[in-house]
Amino acid sequence: MFYKLLIVVFLAVSLQGAPADGQKKKETLLSEKVSQMMEWTSKRAVIRLNGEKFRRLIRAPPRNYSVIIMFTALQPQRQCGVCKQADEEYQILANSWRYSNAFTNRIFFAMVDFDEGSDVFQMLNMNSAPTFINFPAKGKPKRADTYELQVRGFAAEQLARWVADRTDVHIRVIRPPNYAGPLMLGLLLAFIGSLAYVRRNNLEFLFNKNVWAFSALCFVLIMTSGQMWNHIRGPPYAHKNPNTGQVSYIHGSSQAQFVAETHIVLLFNAAVTLGIVLLHEAATSDLDVGKRKIMCVAGIGLVVLFFSWLLSIFRAKYHGYPYSHQIQSVSRSNGHCSHPDPVHIQPRWWIST
Amino acid sequence: MTELHRRSSAGTGGSPPGISRSSAAGGGGRKGGLSQPAGWRCLLSFTILFLACVCGFISRLFAVIRFESLIHEFDPWFNYRSTHHLTTNGFYEFLNWFDERAWYPLGRIVGGTVYPGLMVTAGLIHYILNLVHLTVHIRDVCVFLAPVFSALTAVATFLLTRELWNQGAGLLSACFMAVVPGYISRSVAGSFDNEAIAIFALQFTYFLWVKSIKTGSVFWTIGCCLSYFYMVSAWGGYVFIINLIPLHVFVLLLMRRFSKRVYIAYSTFYIIGLILSMQIPFVGFQPIRTSEHMAAAGVFVLVQLYSFLQFLRDRLTRQDKQTLFSVCVCVAALLLFVCVVYLSCIGHYAKIHIPIIASVSEHQPTTWVSFFFDLHILVCTFPAGLWFCIRNINAERVFVVLYGISAVYFAGVMVRLMLTLTPVVCVLSAVCFSSVFERYLSDEVKQDDPPAEDAADEEDKRNSGSLYDKAGKLRKHHVCEEGFGSNIRSLVIVLLLLLLLMFTVHCTWVTSNAYSSPSVVLASYNHDGSRRILDDFREAYYWLRLNTDQHARVMSWWDYGYQIAGMANRTTLVDNNTWNNSHIALVGKAMASNESVAYDIMRLLDVDYVLIIFGGVIGYSGDDINKFLWMVRIAEGEHPRDVRESDFFTPLGEFRVDKAASPALLNSLMYKMSYYRFGEMQLDFRTPPGFDRTRNAEIGNKDVRLRHLEEAFTSEHWLVRIYKVKDLDNRQPLERKPRSSCSPRMKHLHLKITITLKNIGA
Repeated sequence: MFYKLLIVVFLAVSLQGAPADGQKKKETLLSEKVSQMMEWTSKRAVIRLNGEKFRRLIRAPPRNYSVIIMFTALQPQRQCGVCKQADEEYQILANSWRYSNAFTNRIFFAMVDFDEGSDVFQMLNMNSAPTFINFPAKGKPKRADTYELQVRGFAAEQLARWVADRTDVHIRVIRPPNYAGPLMLGLLLAFIGSLAYVRRNNLEFLFNKNVWAFSALCFVLIMTSGQMWNHIRGPPYAHKNPNTGQVSYIHGSSQAQFVAETHIVLLFNAAVTLGIVLLHEAATSDLDVGKRKIMCVAGIGLVVLFFSWLLSIFRAKYHGYPYSHQIQSVSRSNGHCSHPDPVHIQPRWWIST
Repeated sequence: MTELHRRSSAGTGGSPPGISRSSAAGGGGRKGGLSQPAGWRCLLSFTILFLACVCGFISRLFAVIRFESLIHEFDPWFNYRSTHHLTTNGFYEFLNWFDERAWYPLGRIVGGTVYPGLMVTAGLIHYILNLVHLTVHIRDVCVFLAPVFSALTAVATFLLTRELWNQGAGLLSACFMAVVPGYISRSVAGSFDNEAIAIFALQFTYFLWVKSIKTGSVFWTIGCCLSYFYMVSAWGGYVFIINLIPLHVFVLLLMRRFSKRVYIAYSTFYIIGLILSMQIPFVGFQPIRTSEHMAAAGVFVLVQLYSFLQFLRDRLTRQDKQTLFSVCVCVAALLLFVCVVYLSCIGHYAKIHIPIIASVSEHQPTTWVSFFFDLHILVCTFPAGLWFCIRNINAERVFVVLYGISAVYFAGVMVRLMLTLTPVVCVLSAVCFSSVFERYLSDEVKQDDPPAEDAADEEDKRNSGSLYDKAGKLRKHHVCEEGFGSNIRSLVIVLLLLLLLMFTVHCTWVTSNAYSSPSVVLASYNHDGSRRILDDFREAYYWLRLNTDQHARVMSWWDYGYQIAGMANRTTLVDNNTWNNSHIALVGKAMASNESVAYDIMRLLDVDYVLIIFGGVIGYSGDDINKFLWMVRIAEGEHPRDVRESDFFTPLGEFRVDKAASPALLNSLMYKMSYYRFGEMQLDFRTPPGFDRTRNAEIGNKDVRLRHLEEAFTSEHWLVRIYKVKDLDNRQPLERKPRSSCSPRMKHLHLKITITLKNIGA
């Protein structure tokens, strides 16, 4: 009886003890892994993984943290331009998380470079880079755990939204401020200041009307040629047709423009302005008559020529515009103007302020 | 149209010779001894100005002639409705008006949230006309208000340019202003909007300001303040004035052109203008609170300090210290000014990036094409005008230079602000053309008519007294009088006149084709050139007015809120005022969700009808499916968990409506309502049934079934579709009824239970 009891007790203890032992082992393994990850994260925000580390830390089961991994090819010989840009954004995101107040060990950011862990790429059957995959704390990555790079782009904000979506960790993206702008401004101011200091005895140049007029003109021309649009929208410089290799400098629609095109327009506007000023100078300057005649003819030539070129560019962009060049326009002017397409009316809807 | 055309070209094209003739006529008049040259000049100027006004008025009437006298677009409908309220209920009632028909269930305080200038002006004109027994409907007053005010703007521009340069330039600028598309875009007949009268107020205020710094008299300054008051009551763009005038004063201070006259003008203007502007309920205490107005206050303080220091300097001897101090003050003020401007710019930038603001097509930066489209030749000549102004600078030309530079910046940032750039472009281009014409035409006079030379010279000398800045130029011009041959001169003149002629032709074309569509009524042209009127909007709104309950609530996207309120007189949920983003987002969410979720939202908001715009039948591109992504974006901004923009794209990131469309789109309420019964419809034999002409695609879900909605009305060309929200379904019959009602079945159950209980007990 006593032996029986003993055996039962022993069995009970052993049965109780065996899982408890396994649990402990698992926990120590887990805490080891977490502390390992934390240590790496404290060194750099994005952990670099190779095949062995990937298998041990991500693939092997006991895991209570999510890992976002960027699969990329950063080595120069791979010539992946997108990877570099994506990497920059990813670093911003990871750093925002690393240095935020809400930093915990629930989520880690890591990356696998193709040249360090090509076996990982083979294992996951992956053949494009960069790719972002979330390895959730429980279970295997699902379809939505692969970031749709084509659709959403690789801006850090978009990535942060995706991360919040998948893991419930909200990251406020903090971009390191760009010091270039203020620095340039400071340098410019210092330059002007030093110039003024050097020439402090002779500040005549501040009263030079031509300088002021010229800078005002530059500003106006920059604005009227749509450089502000370029600044806000960031269009390409020109468009190269991939099939024919033909480069087009003028955008076909009136709603958009290329940078090259705005430069052309800037030039043309400036030429017309110059023509008018020349015309005026020809009539008022003190030079001899021959020179003034040349000035005058050059002036009117500039005005007419460049304005008709401007008009032809405009015509190419604004479909259905009936007037082309100087002389034709007059004869055509009494013609009918009809809409090219059935309903061409675009509503303008706006907010009252 | 051709007649209008000729008139307008005669108006502008005719003016440059007008100037030449004015001097020629001056000479001729003296020789003939018919009358004083001044008299001729005056008559000619008056005639040209009058013709410019008439031509400006007439060229804005395209829409009235083609369609009828009706209010255009969206915002004007609200203004019209408020004006109507004002004329029927009186001014005080209008100021206290709480509109319970908008923003259901919140309502809107209208009296305190509008600039009342427009309504009061129209109401006043209506009142006066009725007083003299000209019984005009208020709608006609509203429709023709903008063209009338554009004629007045031409006059105001003439006055301003005359103060800045000379009379010839003034006449040219009036002609430009009358026909330039940048201004016509907001002032065609029927576009009853704040900008229509505000540009007049703007130009007139600037004229009076220039006048008051020239004279330094309090009289002109008070006039300037009153005009500023009118501007404040009319448009939020008054902020431009209250920043530009202080900037002018500040720059004058830096240029050491600051005088007692400027001091008097600015001090009076700031104080009286401030007090007057605070009388408008909508503006209230903003002028002493917000950052946009701080620059004016800062400059006011600076001016007082500077004048005080000057006063002290007259009495104290230690001058060096004083100047040092004043330099310090200047620098400090400059820093302050820059800071304030910088802060307000940042605010401005932040505003651009909110989706609801970004969704509005007018809040986009400007391409060079729109500059060229709205200004044509003037866009190239106005820098030249700027050049001439800076070369011959004086106190008031500083103003126009600053005006030009700041306005061109704002116009570059936002298409809508092209409107504020247009007047200054007209002024500066007029300066440019006038100074060129003056050289080339007056020479001609001298050569053609040698005896008149002395007379003309005399006249020039007399002029040089009044227009003090031109003295130097005229003398130079006298030196090179022998000039180049008449061939070159006439070539130059003819070519420049041709440019101007092209400008007028362009203006008329643009006005006729781009800016004269009411957008409430659409027109399309058949292949033989005949016109077809699509009057679906008014048809549908009128249906709502006649066939629905007076208090019915209509849900639609916010673009159509004002029109529903104005034409159908029904309660709307959201409208073009857009003051409550979350309310709009809720409507957007309803449109983007599936039917049952949308039904819950609509029940929550007490919606009776849903109105959508669908252009698939006629190929109208501004319909709700094309705006749909904006609805999703705005809804996502407020409800990121329920609505996701990415769900509405195909895996390749496209937005399409055919079979490949994402399931979220195919099930959304907007899609279902747009394409309900559309799958049965074959538009022509070349395309399959259910072919959407706007997006050129065969729709993906041809068998749309609606559960909680039913079609109530679809207009002739399917442009407007109205759905009625069904009431809740009858309750499902319950399995068990309460005990008190003793049905036989119930009794049976009861029996059963007692039996089982007995069994257990046993």
